[in-house]
Amino acid sequence: MDKASHLSVVIDLSPTQWHLCSQSSNPYPLTLQSFLSQLLAFFNSHIACKDENTLAVFGAFPGKSVLLYSSTTIAAEEHSVNADANTYRPFKVLDSTIMGSIRNQLEALELLEAEAPIGLVGAITKSLCYINRLTIPSSSTTPAEEKQAPLDPRILIFSVSPDQSPSYIPIMNSIFSAQKLKVTIDVCKIYGPDSVFLQQAAHLTGGSYLHLNRPDAVLQYLTMSFLPPPGIRQLLSVPTQDKIDFRAACFCHKKIVDIGFVCSVCLSIFCNPVPVCSTCR
Amino acid sequence: MPSASSHDDPAASTDEQTSHSLLAFLQSQSQNTLTRLYQRPSSCLSIFRLLGPLERQLVMNLLWLESAIPVSTMAAWVTREGRKAYNSSLSTLAQLHILPSSATKLALNPTFKSCLRQAITGGGSSGSFGVPARYDSSNPGPSTETLDSYALERWETILYYMVSSGNGQYPAKPSDAVLFLLKRSGLMTSFRGAALQITSSGFQFLLHPPHEQLWELLLQYLHMAEERQMDLVEVLGFLLMLSTMELGRARSEYSTENLSATQAAMLEDLRDYGLIWQRNVPSDRFCPTRLATTLTSSSNPLPTSSSTSTGSQAQGFIVLETNYRLYAYTDNPLQIAVLNLFVTLKSRFPNLVIGAITRESVKKALANGITAEQIISYLTTHAHHQMRRHKPLLPVTVQDQIRLWELEKNRVKSQEGYLYTAFASQADYEYVLNYAKQLDVVLWESPSRRCFFGSLEGHSNIRGFIERRTAGNA
Repeated sequence: MDKASHLSVVIDLSPTQWHLCSQSSNPYPLTLQSFLSQLLAFFNSHIACKDENTLAVFGAFPGKSVLLYSSTTIAAEEHSVNADANTYRPFKVLDSTIMGSIRNQLEALELLEAEAPIGLVGAITKSLCYINRLTIPSSSTTPAEEKQAPLDPRILIFSVSPDQSPSYIPIMNSIFSAQKLKVTIDVCKIYGPDSVFLQQAAHLTGGSYLHLNRPDAVLQYLTMSFLPPPGIRQLLSVPTQDKIDFRAACFCHKKIVDIGFVCSVCLSIFCNPVPVCSTCR
Repeated sequence: MPSASSHDDPAASTDEQTSHSLLAFLQSQSQNTLTRLYQRPSSCLSIFRLLGPLERQLVMNLLWLESAIPVSTMAAWVTREGRKAYNSSLSTLAQLHILPSSATKLALNPTFKSCLRQAITGGGSSGSFGVPARYDSSNPGPSTETLDSYALERWETILYYMVSSGNGQYPAKPSDAVLFLLKRSGLMTSFRGAALQITSSGFQFLLHPPHEQLWELLLQYLHMAEERQMDLVEVLGFLLMLSTMELGRARSEYSTENLSATQAAMLEDLRDYGLIWQRNVPSDRFCPTRLATTLTSSSNPLPTSSSTSTGSQAQGFIVLETNYRLYAYTDNPLQIAVLNLFVTLKSRFPNLVIGAITRESVKKALANGITAEQIISYLTTHAHHQMRRHKPLLPVTVQDQIRLWELEKNRVKSQEGYLYTAFASQADYEYVLNYAKQLDVVLWESPSRRCFFGSLEGHSNIRGFIERRTAGNA
């Protein structure tokens, strides 16, 4: 059980939502700056736990998603970081790479683009592809070896934006692929109302969904609930969801519905009764 | 909650897990020593990595808290199934003085807490992660390949010397310091001033995985350091610092200027073991090799690109068939010599050695003190990837037979004692025999020949009894 684990992180970096989150009218305001510094400490703790632990960080920006850092493909940037006797080098490389690429991405954002819907689905899909690529060498060989696959992959999503109902179907599809890959999805909701889709994602993949009551203490939440790999979570009392919003979005208007109409052939969901199913006709 | 089906039962696997050998050594140290050791962020980070998974999680949970946590609150962090693992984790942490045990409130050792925080967030001015030397463009440091081949060559010299001392041939000799260490650790011994001979624990040592071998020697080094009046904290601190350094980083080296006198003296020893590379001696800069940088991780400490061009070491090179034939795809003299410990080698090709596991070869290994389990585990870890298709990995017949051969060795048990014969009459014989039976010292008896065999500890009693009886009769 003391094996290396892989963590893919998806960070929601919507400028609008982070601005709202840092407003001092909130009971516990959290600026992006202080969030990132706590997040880096969390990343370092993950790497500190085991030398072989791997990390990939994806940023969901308005309208696009970007791989910010991955511990397998850093060779190029590594030389640019100056050595420092007081810091463990992998930590330094990680911190400066992530901060640098977030800064570049945010500066490159056009004013108009900033209002585009957040590329959360893209980031989740990319992280699933990344995990799939990591697990390929072990799954292509014999089943005997598959058992000792060195990975314990999981995805951690930091969300500040509200649900976008048009992305219901792609998110559900990502959840199903995650289930198939045996990937645990953890969700940390930092700001805004509970996310229906992400709650379901965490529930269906056996992860935790956590809505922070005190976003300013995010590091302690992260360490206690999301640092332990799934292997030892059974020994720990990790937070569980007592109620999950299982509502779905309809296929016709992408609205979240309480009561819908379901096609008896293909199980598509509609908010109004329709004579002919638009999915399977 | 995670579904139980997709993961192994963690409670069961925690019990089997054995903690790292360095932790046991640290637990025997005084609180003062440990607290001084925890003053360096690199030491804290390395020791943290050696802890078990649950212990690491507990430390992490407490790391960012400013105040102490009531014991009852902390106990609520674990589920009922985790209770046992939790208690043993707490006691390990208490023995390491990381989390002093207390009946009411628990908090991390303040030194450890502040230094681990510093290790994770960076900063400070301790320079504990190695001071880089100024980059010299005319004379760049070694590449990773240079370091790997250097470390491999040094390490295999030591092992090859050990393994070939058994059959009387002496290849390249490691330095005197290494020989002394081997002798001190009981892996080799010399009879009456003769040349060094490998001992049975030395044979067992050869079959261990490289990571364990390395730590076994380093622990011995630490014991020796205590006797040589070296400061244990500095020695350990230096080893742990090496483990956090980076291998062949952009061909630059580390500077020796911040090292204490003890640590500078260690450079020479560690160079002999292949943990450190230096261009010339003495030099003001050094480079850790892969042996050093993987001290606290579980990845393979020996580079995969060994002298075999195929890099077979990482993959495994042994194919074992049900007819006891063994094919080893290697040209590495060390691996061949180790195989020769328990295999009868028949023929040798440029990249292949063919042999068979026979009763004689296994008996020879058993006589050297190697156990059947060690042979089997060596074969398992070095099995060729073609073998990994089979389930179980090694042919059951061969495994069983190796174990049976070991049992065969245990067929005869010797015990010292005395044989009592020439009793004058059957009555005399039975009288003494009854007495001996009451004492429960009879090992064997034969009424027809009027003799029995008693164990050593019963002899004085029986002799006294017989003497009293003959004196009474007379």
